[in-house]
Amino acid sequence: MFVQFFGGFLLNKGAVTREQLIDAMEKESTAHIQLGTLAMHAGLMDAEQIEDVRISQTHTDKRFGEICVDKGYLTEAQVDELLASQYPKYLLLGQVLEEQGVFDQSTFNALVQEYITKNSIPEEDLSNKNEGSIPGLVKDYCSEFPSRNKEYQLEYIQLLLNDLIRFIGSDFTLLHPVIYSSGYPTQKYSAQSITGSYPAAIVLDMTEDTAIKFASRYASEDFDTFDEYVQASMEDFLNLHNGLFNVNISNTYSDELGLEPPFSGEKTQIKSSAPMFMFPALFSFGIVNIVLSESA
Amino acid sequence: MQLKDAKILIGDDSILARKQLKDVLTSLGATRFVEAVNGNEAVEKFIAEKPDLIFLDIIMPIKDGISAVREIIAEDSAAQIVIVSSVGTQHQLKAAIEAGAKDFVQKPINAEQIASIVSSRFE
Repeated sequence: MFVQFFGGFLLNKGAVTREQLIDAMEKESTAHIQLGTLAMHAGLMDAEQIEDVRISQTHTDKRFGEICVDKGYLTEAQVDELLASQYPKYLLLGQVLEEQGVFDQSTFNALVQEYITKNSIPEEDLSNKNEGSIPGLVKDYCSEFPSRNKEYQLEYIQLLLNDLIRFIGSDFTLLHPVIYSSGYPTQKYSAQSITGSYPAAIVLDMTEDTAIKFASRYASEDFDTFDEYVQASMEDFLNLHNGLFNVNISNTYSDELGLEPPFSGEKTQIKSSAPMFMFPALFSFGIVNIVLSESA
Repeated sequence: MQLKDAKILIGDDSILARKQLKDVLTSLGATRFVEAVNGNEAVEKFIAEKPDLIFLDIIMPIKDGISAVREIIAEDSAAQIVIVSSVGTQHQLKAAIEAGAKDFVQKPINAEQIASIVSSRFE
């Protein structure tokens, strides 16, 4: 999940534009990680050596790994090990941005280091398997949003990010959260309320075009117009996610929360007596806004 | 009874959830379906249609799935009801079983689980 936060950091930093990030996220799904990217990440080669191999590649039909071995930059065993290794997803994002000419590998490494230092992330947490820093990143992300029950709130948002990845796709970046205190203007939306000790209302809101694409991914169907199936997909995603949240809360805290049936609408002002916390997820197909409001 | 001859009631307020379950059941050989969009309608259609197998969601408007199970069981204690819900807590599971449901499926549904439920009841 690190990459979803890291993309937001790159945007806020001005290191990429929104268009460049969307373009990179689209290309990422079909891109393949390169040996040079892996070797540099592992600290086995530097940018100059990689450039040297790339130049050599232009006048020989040898593969990148073979040239690295010929030049003594890597051993055959290291090449095999790198190719078989699991790599963190943000590396591929960096590689695609580099291929787009947005920045070079050294700049990307410097940005990663800055982010790691800023958020006190241990190096080992950057891999896809070890995500020990994620609760901390979620906590920072929600730091401006007060809660009567911070544990539940963080659990809710972390699960929501996981469910977006699981049911919609990992090609999104979290944009800076926005707090609405007087009313939230919706586009196409679905909403559901949680009842019990953590009463809250959750709204999933997006443009019609984004909703069609969101629903197509959720239902694994190819929708082309906004119809009852698209609307049901948005409601089902909310219902499924909120149901899983209730299960987690029940298992962890022995606290039984309830759920109201979801409903949908469009172009209205949603009011709440409590502040509404909106966090936008920038997918390659559009922005999915999630609004969480804890009832007073 | 063969699955192709069985009448199956699907009670869920989501048109997508009904379609997805129907698609899975159709792929297994089912052909006869009755649909309900809330717990009230599910009870009414149970009485009118006497289905051989019932799938019910819990979170539904007007009348929830657990209340519908109780009313259906009051009509026919042998009714074969399967709860299909996103809220698979122990509490909900217990409530569903106590009300008379025979099985509980956590959403998102998977075809293997539905196949296992169907194969234990039909040829």
